[in-house]
Amino acid sequence: MISVFLAQLAKERRNPYIILIFIAASIGGTLIFTGGAQSPTTVSIFSEEENAQAVEEKWESLLNEGSDIHFVVADPDEARKNVQQGRSDVAVKVMEDDYQLVTASSMPTVGYVDQQVRTVFEQEAFIQGAIAQSDDSEALRSSIEAQLNQPPIEMEVLSLTGEERADYDMGTQLMFAFTLLTAMFIIGFRVNNILKDKVEGLWDRMILSPLSKTGMYTAYIAYAFFIGFIQMTAVVLIFKYGLHYDIGERLDLLLLALAFFTFSMVSVATLVTGLVKKPEHFYALYPSLIPMIPLISGAYWMPGTVTNPVLTFIGDLFPVSHAMDAILGVVMHDATLQDITQPLILMVLIGVIAMGIGVNLVERRTG
Amino acid sequence: MIEAIQLNKKFKEKIVVKDVDLYLDKGESVGLLGPNGAGKSTTISMISSLLKPTSGDVKLNGKSVVKTPADIRKVLGVVPQEIALYQELTAYENLKFFGRIYNVPKDQLESRIQRTLELVGLKERQKDLIKTFSGGMKRRINIASAMLHEPEILILDEPTVGIDPQSRNYILEMIRQLNQQDHTSVLYTSHYMEEVEQLCDRVYIMDHGKVIASGSQPELLSILSNEDTMMVQLNQTSNELITAILKMDVVRNIEETSDGLKIIAKKSSNIISDLVKLVDQHNSKIINFQMENPRLEDVFLHLTGRTLRD
Repeated sequence: MISVFLAQLAKERRNPYIILIFIAASIGGTLIFTGGAQSPTTVSIFSEEENAQAVEEKWESLLNEGSDIHFVVADPDEARKNVQQGRSDVAVKVMEDDYQLVTASSMPTVGYVDQQVRTVFEQEAFIQGAIAQSDDSEALRSSIEAQLNQPPIEMEVLSLTGEERADYDMGTQLMFAFTLLTAMFIIGFRVNNILKDKVEGLWDRMILSPLSKTGMYTAYIAYAFFIGFIQMTAVVLIFKYGLHYDIGERLDLLLLALAFFTFSMVSVATLVTGLVKKPEHFYALYPSLIPMIPLISGAYWMPGTVTNPVLTFIGDLFPVSHAMDAILGVVMHDATLQDITQPLILMVLIGVIAMGIGVNLVERRTG
Repeated sequence: MIEAIQLNKKFKEKIVVKDVDLYLDKGESVGLLGPNGAGKSTTISMISSLLKPTSGDVKLNGKSVVKTPADIRKVLGVVPQEIALYQELTAYENLKFFGRIYNVPKDQLESRIQRTLELVGLKERQKDLIKTFSGGMKRRINIASAMLHEPEILILDEPTVGIDPQSRNYILEMIRQLNQQDHTSVLYTSHYMEEVEQLCDRVYIMDHGKVIASGSQPELLSILSNEDTMMVQLNQTSNELITAILKMDVVRNIEETSDGLKIIAKKSSNIISDLVKLVDQHNSKIINFQMENPRLEDVFLHLTGRTLRD
């Protein structure tokens, strides 16, 4: 078993570029989609109403109140051109009481911007509705604002441990989403070594040696686990110590969650390996399947965005959603081991089932 | 030593190997000769315990290999038809890998690697990546990988496919040396009859999944004892002439080769004079005439009506 593991490692050492590219892609993807080292995303707003300037000024100030996105007024043509040419993902056309998003992509940031803008417009519509019932609109607005500043009942949101809850950080979430995504690719490609070695006849040579089949599978699976886990650990450490991302205090729990995810994902990749006959088929199927999993699992969206029960059910069948639950619990809510036990158990369950079916299929495929 | 008894293999409804009986004694070199698709590789896969037979058994010293494959795996070295090596690793690293999986003792591994590299003539290239090797060199390392654990039986599945004549001779000489000096039993499959003629004490000829003849080379050639093989070179040939020759009572088979016509005929005192007359009637002339000693190729042609490369 060790000899097979070491042979895989020797191949990797000879050609480490794929791993390095995936680590770079993970970091690059996070920085690009979150707009750098946790700097606020800038979104252009513009109006084409008759009183465009007044509308723009009103919404610019309202949208920027307490938002981590920076909304700036821009020329309509320039804003559209930036979106068309891919310089920005989204711009917001604001009207008196409504808005439209101008976008040419389905990047995760678009959904996030939409959510922020919608919240502000809904709140303003509520205030406007109340003002419409009143004779003295200025007095009512002052009254609402005063009450909001000194509410009769104050709610305090605390973390699970009773400490002050940290602000939700979309950048950190996306960082983990991209890290898991790239790890899924590298894990899959390494599990696919089983098929490659089968096609090249190495697998048969190993069968004819004193190596047991269990030992052979264990070696390939352990190697895929090792590479996937190393890649994710490297990315997390770079973000924590190099780019100073706030990923909480419990690095041990974070790595534990990543280890469970890696095991689970190795099993899913083994299952996909069992569905195909040749490594080329795997290369066609796996990369088209994998990017959909974080999307369905809601890894790119604010929690609660994906509400469709069918989608959430499908998402829950894959380890990403459970890994994100555990990771974000640790990073943002200071969750303890007990708090993340459920997602960890679910990942183990997925792993065991997928591995069992996967190995069985791999064996049947090759007789 | 090894005995295959009534081996059968069916893939879905297709019978690939049918009622194959075969044995290999200690220190013997046995050839499995047949065209592509004859069932040679499937047969050796069953013998080596890689594939379970649909029916029949393989015995190693009287013990069933099908039931306890671990026994044969300890004493067996298999050289597959494909280059089953890690292309991204060096020759040395590949041999080290195979030595480790065959549990070669650590203190012997290095010396065995060096000795095997020397035997295959690639000691100087041991640090080079396999992917930089020529086809012949890759084949040599492919064989070396099966020799590191010093197997008692070496099974080689067409080990010279697609390589240059020089590498081919090198490989054949190496196998002969293993068989004659180290007394390794060799089961050698090929569709090149000259390789089998050169290497093997006994030969099994396979076609369409069945063994159609077996025995030592003289035994097999005796099948043709009442036939003559002639090479006839003509100044011009035609389909009419070939048809006319084939219609002669004594002629069994005729084949057009680059050197002329290869005629297999029943031993007959007047075949040459009859042939000269017939050629003359078709306005052709014999430039060269040669009686040939029969070869395994002719045995195959006699038994199947086809050449090995058909």
